[in-house]
Amino acid sequence: MVDEHMLAVTSLSTNAPFWYNVRPEGPNFFALNMGLCLPFALGLTMAFPRRKVISIDSDGSLMNDSSSLITVADVNPGNLVAFVFDNSSYAFMGSTFTARRTDLGKMAQGAGIAKSGTVRTLEDFSAAAKQAMESTGPHFIVAKVEPDAGRVAADRSRTSGRPMREWFMDAVRRHPDYQVRR
Amino acid sequence: MDQQSVQVIVETLKEQGIDLVVTLPEEPTYALTEAVRQDSFFTAVTVAGEGNGIAFCAGAALGGRRVAFVTGVAGLLVSSWALSQMGMVYGAPILILASYRGDFGDHSGIPGSQLLMFKQVAEPLLAALRVPYRVVNQKATLKRMLQEGSFACQDYSHPIALLLSGEVLW
Amino acid sequence: MKRYDCLKLLAPMVDKHMFTVTSLSSNTAFWSSLRLEGANFLGCNMGLCIPFALGLTAAFPDRKVIALDSDGSLMVDTSSLITVADVNPLNFVAIIFDNGSYARMGATFTTRRADLEKIAQGAGIDKTATVRSEEAFSASVKQAIDTAGPHFIVVKVEPDRERVKGDPHRTYGRAMREWFMDAVRHHPDYKGK
Repeated sequence: MVDEHMLAVTSLSTNAPFWYNVRPEGPNFFALNMGLCLPFALGLTMAFPRRKVISIDSDGSLMNDSSSLITVADVNPGNLVAFVFDNSSYAFMGSTFTARRTDLGKMAQGAGIAKSGTVRTLEDFSAAAKQAMESTGPHFIVAKVEPDAGRVAADRSRTSGRPMREWFMDAVRRHPDYQVRR
Repeated sequence: MDQQSVQVIVETLKEQGIDLVVTLPEEPTYALTEAVRQDSFFTAVTVAGEGNGIAFCAGAALGGRRVAFVTGVAGLLVSSWALSQMGMVYGAPILILASYRGDFGDHSGIPGSQLLMFKQVAEPLLAALRVPYRVVNQKATLKRMLQEGSFACQDYSHPIALLLSGEVLW
Repeated sequence: MKRYDCLKLLAPMVDKHMFTVTSLSSNTAFWSSLRLEGANFLGCNMGLCIPFALGLTAAFPDRKVIALDSDGSLMVDTSSLITVADVNPLNFVAIIFDNGSYARMGATFTTRRADLEKIAQGAGIDKTATVRSEEAFSASVKQAIDTAGPHFIVVKVEPDRERVKGDPHRTYGRAMREWFMDAVRHHPDYKGK
């Protein structure tokens, strides 16, 4: 569902290597640390207003800075599709708050993101994702998933840190919509 | 962190009367926070963000609880706003145990550019926030450092940080 | 509805052994003139009022701890509501004065799309309310003080017309901290040294 000119941003943990395995090329910013994925993606929407920007976040990361939901709602970018893969785990280090009282879909609605929902099956995920990719957002989709069985390997130089940033900037500079304001 | 270090820390926290331990789980200190969580002596609180964590610790500490905050350099960065208030302005006695990601000996596999950042930032950040700290990287001095850190924390009425590294952490 | 009038209704409901924590701006100035006894931690900076109050509940589990926050402050760190819901302290009451303003610097998000009560519900706090009249305020707060929490009450108020500042020696920073600690040390439940 993601074309070559769409931009994607991921949080840490398996979001990064998994996304790299399915979409290795194109403008992808991988492995942002806790709380940073959604606001970074939001910033990208302002640099590429005509392209979908996809945020691939996790529950622990989003909850570190849930205030970002308020900012998203207020900026109200039509091109943002924000996914949260909610496995209710801090990696292998125990359960997060979504295993107990916290409902991220409801928090997003409270923040003012009208198009928010939670999906629990692959069919519902597909339908929600398709709708989000084909209509004006911002969209916020919480995907309830199982904790990952193990760690996943991916090329480190492509999926984290300064080397990843160079690949990303290379893709961005070659993007047809790229405009540097001098 | 191996079980030996975990045991020394748990035992010393108990001796110091620190019965409230706050954290947002992170890998290097996970063995410690798990041991604390499973030990009925402690009240273990998990926070959603480290900023909440430091402010929470300050409320409990000024209210008379003995409290420790277990985190890493990333958590110190996130909580630096809260630390500036709770430390510099209010002098809340919080014992901070922070894993020193990026220090020599970190073979965790986290990308070098991130580790370098942690190494460059950790100590100047604590210095900028006027949080007295020590790097604790030897098992032989771990207990003594915890005791002295805890004493200083109460004596100064100020947060103090022990940056755990070397054989204590890895 | 005016913030000051609500705080005036609140003051007699707070007994001398309860704790209050206020955010910056007029919450501090007004409250400091209305509640002269007891332990009051005043002038907490942005995002810190609620988590500090939450920490106090861990030190004084048998006494109500009342956070008097403002919308802008809370929105700096709404994750604190997730932590509140999880710790689930029965003695915690958060009252958010939502005037939709960052002091004199323009409207906040609550005048547009953000709804703090719904965010608190999403975070996992069940006992929430939004009040717009003095009657509703009184009823909500009385219920919060008389029953187990945690409670979360959003109070929609007008922006304050004038800038009000409290006595800087009592209501801010290190000086305030000394008054607070003095009250805390004299509190019958205090277990510290």
